[in-house]
Amino acid sequence: MKKKKEIKVLLVDDEVDFVDTLAQRLKMRELMVATVYDGEQALSFIKKIEPDVIVLDLKMPGLHGMEVLREIKQLSPHIQVIILTGHGTEKDEEEAKRLGGFDFLRKPADIDLLVAKIKEAYWEKIERAMTAIAFAEEGELDTARKIIKKEE
Amino acid sequence: MEYKKEHELRVSQLKFIGKVLSVFTHELNNHLAIMKESIGLIGDILSSQKSSVQHGLEESLKTIQSIENQTGKTSWLCKQLSSFGHRMDNPLSIFSVNESVEELLVLLNRIANQKKISFEKDFQENIPVIHNDPSKLQFLIFCLIEEGLRRLDRNGRIIFKTTRSGGSIAINIIQKGNFIETDEKGLCSNEISQHVINQLGGTIYQEEGGEGVTITLPISRHSGSEMAD
Repeated sequence: MKKKKEIKVLLVDDEVDFVDTLAQRLKMRELMVATVYDGEQALSFIKKIEPDVIVLDLKMPGLHGMEVLREIKQLSPHIQVIILTGHGTEKDEEEAKRLGGFDFLRKPADIDLLVAKIKEAYWEKIERAMTAIAFAEEGELDTARKIIKKEE
Repeated sequence: MEYKKEHELRVSQLKFIGKVLSVFTHELNNHLAIMKESIGLIGDILSSQKSSVQHGLEESLKTIQSIENQTGKTSWLCKQLSSFGHRMDNPLSIFSVNESVEELLVLLNRIANQKKISFEKDFQENIPVIHNDPSKLQFLIFCLIEEGLRRLDRNGRIIFKTTRSGGSIAINIIQKGNFIETDEKGLCSNEISQHVINQLGGTIYQEEGGEGVTITLPISRHSGSEMAD
């Protein structure tokens, strides 16, 4: 079983003070945390280092969080994305889930709840990967791909 | 016809207020979220067995400073919103054009940032206060800002210039940058803008050579031709 410290989390939010403080709190909870401050930076980041879970704001300068989520799911569908927004509507929540978002939280969120969701997202990712590998080993590559993309 | 225009104006004004309030509450909520995380971090540091006393003290002081800054920003934003609200309480009043434009820019800055468009101020100092309806003026300027935000591409600028010219104050709003084509409709039609400017007793016109739109308002209320009492 992996230790908590090995869960790689990327925080994406244009509120620098918010994201830096939250990063410190998550690090104190044994998570590996990196921060970026807009959608473009997030997409460049995941091309170099792949996080397990991304905590993503919606309203940011430039690319909107929903566009970032769509791009992430195209580039690396297995990365789990939790939306953390101060301004989300029910429609946004529905759209985020439709695009493959793992969960939708509103700011300010309880830190213990956020950590629990990050871990939950991580373990779901691992489970999905293991199931996909099992199918791939059986030669069922399409099924394996669908599992990773949550298309089953 | 007059009733229809007035009704259309009221509907647009309500949308305008809704927009300002939603931007403002988003901004406020962000500052509160930072304060919550900062307080949480102090709690984490103080309860952490690993952190040394000195390190814990330094981190806590830094975080307390951040809470103080955020409280100051939140309080300042509340003051701007309160002032914005009061302009609607008392439609005809003596006010500073610079202050009322500035107030609107503060409240709308977040929308501009999200589109990577900047607001620039070029206000003439010491221009006289005027007697007019500040909320209608803010509404009119909001319509022009909204138009700029729809038309301008990223890294565009909207410049707000105020000057005194004889018995009037001129507000020149210039859009600079690359423009994009959009079918999106704005909050107010030309007819509504004209209706509002008539009520303010001023004029609105497009400057030659693409130098934006200029609104002029009389310094004295009595120079307004159709201004409501």
